[in-house]
Amino acid sequence: MDLAQQLGARLAHPGEFTLRACKNSKMNLTQAEAVRDLIDAQTDAAASQALRQLSGELSATLQPAKHKLIKTIVRLESALEFVEDDLPQVETKQISGELVEATNMIAALAATFASGRVLRDGIKVTLVGRPNVGKSSVFNRLVGIDRAIVTEIPGTTRDTITESIILGAIPVSLTDTAGIREAEGRIEELGVERTHRAAADSDLLLVVVDGSRELTTEDVGILEEAAKAKHVVAINKSDLPNSVRSEESLSEFSSVVVHVSAVTGEGLDELTAAILEPFGTVDSETAGLLITDSRHYDLLRRAQSSLESSRELLDSGASEELVLVGLHNALRFLGEITGETTPDDILGEIFSTFCIGK
Amino acid sequence: MLAFDEIFDVIVIGGGHAGCEAASAAARLGAQTALVTLNLDLIGQMSCNPAIGGIAKGHLVREIDALGGIMGRVADRTGIQFRLLNRSRGPAVQSPRTQSDRALYRKEMRKMLEGTPNLQLRQGMVVDLLVQQEKIRGVEMQDGRRIAAAAVVIAAGTFLNGLVHTGRRTYTAGRAGEPASIELAESLKQLGFPVGRLKTGTPPRIDGRTIDWSAFQAQAADERPVLFSFSSDEITQPQLQCYVGYTTPTLHEAIRRNLDQSPLYSGQIKGVGPRYCPSIEDKVVKFAEKDRHQLFLEPEGHDTNEVYLNGFSTSLPAGLQQELVRLVPGLEEARIIRPGYAIEYDYVDPRELGPDLQSRRILGLFHAGQVNGTTGYEEAACQGLLAGINAACLVTCRPMFRLRREESYIGVLVDDLISQGVDEPYRIFTSRAEYRLALRHDNADERLRAYGRELGLVGDVDWERFNRRRDNVAAAKAALKSTRLRPSDAAYSAASAGLGDLGSSITLEEVARRPGITPELIHRLLINQGELSVALSDVETALADDLYSGYIRMQDAAVKRLRHHDLTPIPQNLDYRSINGLSHEMIERLERSRPLTIGDARRVSGLTAAALSTLYVVASVHN
Repeated sequence: MDLAQQLGARLAHPGEFTLRACKNSKMNLTQAEAVRDLIDAQTDAAASQALRQLSGELSATLQPAKHKLIKTIVRLESALEFVEDDLPQVETKQISGELVEATNMIAALAATFASGRVLRDGIKVTLVGRPNVGKSSVFNRLVGIDRAIVTEIPGTTRDTITESIILGAIPVSLTDTAGIREAEGRIEELGVERTHRAAADSDLLLVVVDGSRELTTEDVGILEEAAKAKHVVAINKSDLPNSVRSEESLSEFSSVVVHVSAVTGEGLDELTAAILEPFGTVDSETAGLLITDSRHYDLLRRAQSSLESSRELLDSGASEELVLVGLHNALRFLGEITGETTPDDILGEIFSTFCIGK
Repeated sequence: MLAFDEIFDVIVIGGGHAGCEAASAAARLGAQTALVTLNLDLIGQMSCNPAIGGIAKGHLVREIDALGGIMGRVADRTGIQFRLLNRSRGPAVQSPRTQSDRALYRKEMRKMLEGTPNLQLRQGMVVDLLVQQEKIRGVEMQDGRRIAAAAVVIAAGTFLNGLVHTGRRTYTAGRAGEPASIELAESLKQLGFPVGRLKTGTPPRIDGRTIDWSAFQAQAADERPVLFSFSSDEITQPQLQCYVGYTTPTLHEAIRRNLDQSPLYSGQIKGVGPRYCPSIEDKVVKFAEKDRHQLFLEPEGHDTNEVYLNGFSTSLPAGLQQELVRLVPGLEEARIIRPGYAIEYDYVDPRELGPDLQSRRILGLFHAGQVNGTTGYEEAACQGLLAGINAACLVTCRPMFRLRREESYIGVLVDDLISQGVDEPYRIFTSRAEYRLALRHDNADERLRAYGRELGLVGDVDWERFNRRRDNVAAAKAALKSTRLRPSDAAYSAASAGLGDLGSSITLEEVARRPGITPELIHRLLINQGELSVALSDVETALADDLYSGYIRMQDAAVKRLRHHDLTPIPQNLDYRSINGLSHEMIERLERSRPLTIGDARRVSGLTAAALSTLYVVASVHN
């Protein structure tokens, strides 16, 4: 490898081969996008979702909604274009119902983005707690190696440390922080500031308290702060005999409380489950297709809102050409995912549905 | 060196709806113009139904008129049943239509052309196009005459290699009873143009004295006719009624029994017909579940007994047509004057043309109308106008004129033709226009009048008239915004009749947005407020502008979003065959149309999304 580089070779940039395949037209852009996702996939579940998109499953999933939409457009367009052609009356109620169904299908698919995004991009979890409750021990347990330095001395961790791990099927960026307390030394003060920053930037806070001691005012302050966001409380040191802390005494702060022992590893599975719970259970085997791409999500939401405003117009008795603006827009948005529907396609549908022609 | 009998600037071949507009426009733009036609007595002939306009087609006529064309004026003078279609819907999809007196239309059109300076009529058949160094030099006639011109417009309609079918009999003809142009079609092939075959048809014409009119439902003209021309004030012809009736299952059964005699079903007709204008044979076969199909009895004019049986287009044998027609309730005693027939004809792939309708192959050669694969008088006329304008621009060294999709139906039609070509006779529909809400029939003048003026087709009188109307619309808009109704006003009670409380103070514009408020009422209220010069049509235009403004913004945003890659150029030396991701079929489609940009490529018919994204990547990399 070194020799090759000495002879003038260089390492490929990320995605360079995909781009070349694209340039040389070995694949089209949509496929290249899916391949990019596949390469970037951090977990099997994310890879399996990328593969499903590569095989065109997203388009296929959208077909029933798109079909309903086109059917509605065909109905309204033919009422406009072929006013003298003895066509059946436009049944507003029925069409409105079809639109609701199409909207619901699209909304349901869009709603999977919450899980899909987690699956692809993962979540950020930050450990917080006052010094010496064992944050770094819990961190090391979750990471599976002794990444953070652990001592008996409170405030050993002065800076934040971040590790990427897989919990369940989900990539998690786990951050260990300096303990939060009234800062004494300058270095520690900086560390505490970073802790606040890391906490503000995370999807979930993992509050660690010492189960062998009474809650301090610092603990309470941290718990109250954490209660404002997604969080899990881990009661550490469950292995110690003088552990007296129970879920009940914490219930005024949090409903998600797990006993763990960073020393024995006891309660880690429960902790993992509690961390993942708020992000939906993503089982790559049984889950349906998930929206993982924010562009797709954006398009689905736009289509949904276009459809909703069109249905309101329809229900209020507006003329067809106004209702159709939103329907055509929705079709364009879906078309950016599934491929365009041209006016000729619509006209073709009209002529095969209705007998047109004076 | 070629020797010529006569020399002109522009020659127009064909005296139909495309040819008339082309010749008139070219001559009025200062080009010495000859209109060559097979029969001077049939100038402006309506080969099919005796009507002008309809949804989207009416838009085209108003656009033609706004640019300074002649179809709208002639239609207004010869219309015998004016109706605004889609009256119950929004203004963008309303469109004027009229039944026309067929003979009167011809007469008025010929009078119009004969009164045009720089324009000369010539009867005869063009058999050859004279081309030197890829430039048109003139034409050769059947009688040996040669006429020179630097620009030639082909507007030959269904005459190119025309073949008429009735039953198993076929004969060459341009229309029933008129000779086909065989040599001209051959000449186009010799020049290398890709030529295809299309088909259209027409129904039988019945003797009105043999119809039991009481069996049909009468359909009257509008009380307040909406005219085509922005220069017309009123209609001059007495208005007639049309009649609506229906076919019966017995008739359908009789047609099905005789399908073996239909050239459509025996495989004798190869050309593709329009799906939106099916023959009666097609209707009963493809929509067998329908137990009746609508028929319209349309009078052909004031001085004739001929009645057009719209909806009964057929190519069955003439004798059989007579028997079948008599199965229609009310037509038991009917006698056919002219049988219906199908006609196959050549068209030239319109992807050969630029947006000015000039051939890319031969400088100075323009194609307009059915030769481009379109159907319909209005579709033909607007192409004729554009081709005539550009033929004159070419010979007078002026820049070529083109129209965009976002400003006109004409732009939509031409763009569709030259980028997608045709698979069946092309007809305009409002759904073809992505900017439908902005392209109203009533604002065609606002969109296009200035172009007509700049070109020189709109005279002083019409231009002043347009400016007055524009001022009135602006005044109406201002008055709608500034006029407030209070419960104490007399006008308030008029407006609130049936609407309940309008609140303590409300502008006329807000009143107008309420359902159930008519432009007529708003007009009356404006007159009460002292806006005396504002006409009802001005109020309608002002209200329509207001109604659609929000939607047009929404529509534009979505279209623009979709089109943000459209301007990416595609290298013109690109070898599509070297692109591995493209199927053979995609390569062929692209090679035929040679799109200049991704936007052009997106409109190439049959091009898949995958092929388009592949093309986009290749184009981006090249750039």
